Amino acid sequence: MAENILLIEDSESHARALQLYLERSGVTVVVGRTLDEMMFKRRAKEFDILLINPFLNGQSICSHIKEAKQYNKLLQVIVLCLKKNLDQAMDEVGTHAINFLEIPVSSKALNLAIMHARKCISNEQRISIYSERLADLEHDRTLYHQLFNQVPCYISIQNQDLRLIGGNSLFQKDFGNAIGEYCYEIYKHRTSSCPTCPVMKTFSDGKSHSTEEVVTALSGQQYHVLTQTAPIFDDNGEITQVMEISTDITKIRQLQGHLSSLGLMLGSMSHGVKGMLTALDGGIYQLESGLKNNNPERIDNAFELIKQMADRIKKMVLEILYYAKSRKLEYKSVDVVKLVETVISTVSNLARKNCVQIEAEIPESLGEFDIDSNWLQSALINLAENAVEACKYDTVRTKSHLVKFILWEDEKKRVCLSIKDNGMGIAQETREKMFTLFFTSKGSQGTGLGLFIANHVVQQHGGNISVESTLGEGTTFKVCLPRKKHEDSLAPFTRMMVQI
Amino acid sequence: MKKILIVDDDPNIRDYLVSLLEDNGYATCTANDVQDGLRAAKEHKPDLITLDLEMPGEWGPRFYRQLSQDNELKNTPVIVISGQSGNDYAISKAVASLSKPFDRDELLSIIKENII
Repeated sequence: MAENILLIEDSESHARALQLYLERSGVTVVVGRTLDEMMFKRRAKEFDILLINPFLNGQSICSHIKEAKQYNKLLQVIVLCLKKNLDQAMDEVGTHAINFLEIPVSSKALNLAIMHARKCISNEQRISIYSERLADLEHDRTLYHQLFNQVPCYISIQNQDLRLIGGNSLFQKDFGNAIGEYCYEIYKHRTSSCPTCPVMKTFSDGKSHSTEEVVTALSGQQYHVLTQTAPIFDDNGEITQVMEISTDITKIRQLQGHLSSLGLMLGSMSHGVKGMLTALDGGIYQLESGLKNNNPERIDNAFELIKQMADRIKKMVLEILYYAKSRKLEYKSVDVVKLVETVISTVSNLARKNCVQIEAEIPESLGEFDIDSNWLQSALINLAENAVEACKYDTVRTKSHLVKFILWEDEKKRVCLSIKDNGMGIAQETREKMFTLFFTSKGSQGTGLGLFIANHVVQQHGGNISVESTLGEGTTFKVCLPRKKHEDSLAPFTRMMVQI
Repeated sequence: MKKILIVDDDPNIRDYLVSLLEDNGYATCTANDVQDGLRAAKEHKPDLITLDLEMPGEWGPRFYRQLSQDNELKNTPVIVISGQSGNDYAISKAVASLSKPFDRDELLSIIKENII
């Protein structure tokens, strides 16, 4: 390396001698005789070594040396001065200079000083490169740490024993600080490793593997996850750790379940729908021909049939719509007694037609409760219709059939409604399945959705339905509902979806 | 007057077919399941039969098999009217297969073609 040396000395002959001497060893030397002339503060950056006599014309310029160092931190300063000034120079310049040489300068001392300066320069350059790299590393480390933590997946690092040795933020949030624990204990609450462990496969073949699992978080919440693994190599290329990345696909699975059961439902209902549409066609035909031939009896019958079909189609479409759309309940404060009276009056027509009597034991007032009246009302109507139909299909024709509604408030301040019929009763087997999707005991008359939805709507409201029944004697449905809005109103539906 | 036997478990659809066919000059008889249908076929010797496939108990194809084993009835033309899709293969010898809800005029023209 050829250094640039700035030499400042007021004795021209001395400066010249030094310059010649130094240039012989291959360095570039610029000579200045006054401080001002060289304006070395501005040019300080151009030089590596400053060789300076700080007592130009008898005046101290020591403070300027410090300034020069501020402009060029790598500048190495060697002070030259007469013996009598040496002490003062050391006092004033101090550690800003690496060497203090006495004039006349001995060539040996000068050589050593220059060599020392070189060493200092290269050390300082190295340090500055290292610290730059260190800053870069620190920056990268922060960046990667951030990436690792911010990835919206569960990332864990595991060793050969399947013990967790690291996890990202999301993992720690949902599964706790589980460092040192076994992976299968934390994710799946198992006591031994999973039968098809992708991490073990990766340890043995160094490739990425994937599985689909259901894991249980600290909160008890279950997640469907797609788990993928990747090997982590040490300096010798050995796999010492495996990274496991689990992506939450619960929502996708739910949607798939939802869609497939919707498809199943539409398939199973299409027969009924087609029958209804054909009957509706029939009604329209009979109405048309009745009008043409002026046959009032046919017109009446046709109109009755069309009404009936329109009702059934409407009901079925609403049930499909309810099922097709997982909706939030719209709570409103509703008068309890009024709601129940609406339910009773809705089914009284059906009851009258089938010679079923209706009785009601309803207090004058039971105040209000917070419900989605659209859905709760149709759920209750569904239960009431079932009661009337249980009488309608009862084979014991001699019985006088009765549906009795009782409304009260229980000890937990819940609103309770029981609907009791003396119809055909429900067999044990039917009772177990009656709230499941697509189950129907009514053949082509039922969709298998009514009770499923009724039960679900009541659960969404935080209430419950219970059934008591004796075959041949009758059935009692009891619905209990809290008066205040149920907070976790959406959860039961999604949970039910997963079970399908 | 030509007579048509209607086999369907849905009373509303039976009523519809009875009105439609009688209005168009056919005599009708009805049955609501397979056994009932076979009895009516033997009794009335209809000139044509409309048959639903999905009925409680035994299904339409069984009706057709038993019908074709009866020498007197085996040549009676059968029109399948059902809510099942892809019902063309259920009874391959049926003269036609209509799916519910069916087209009135189409049914009438098929009957006209097949009733001798």
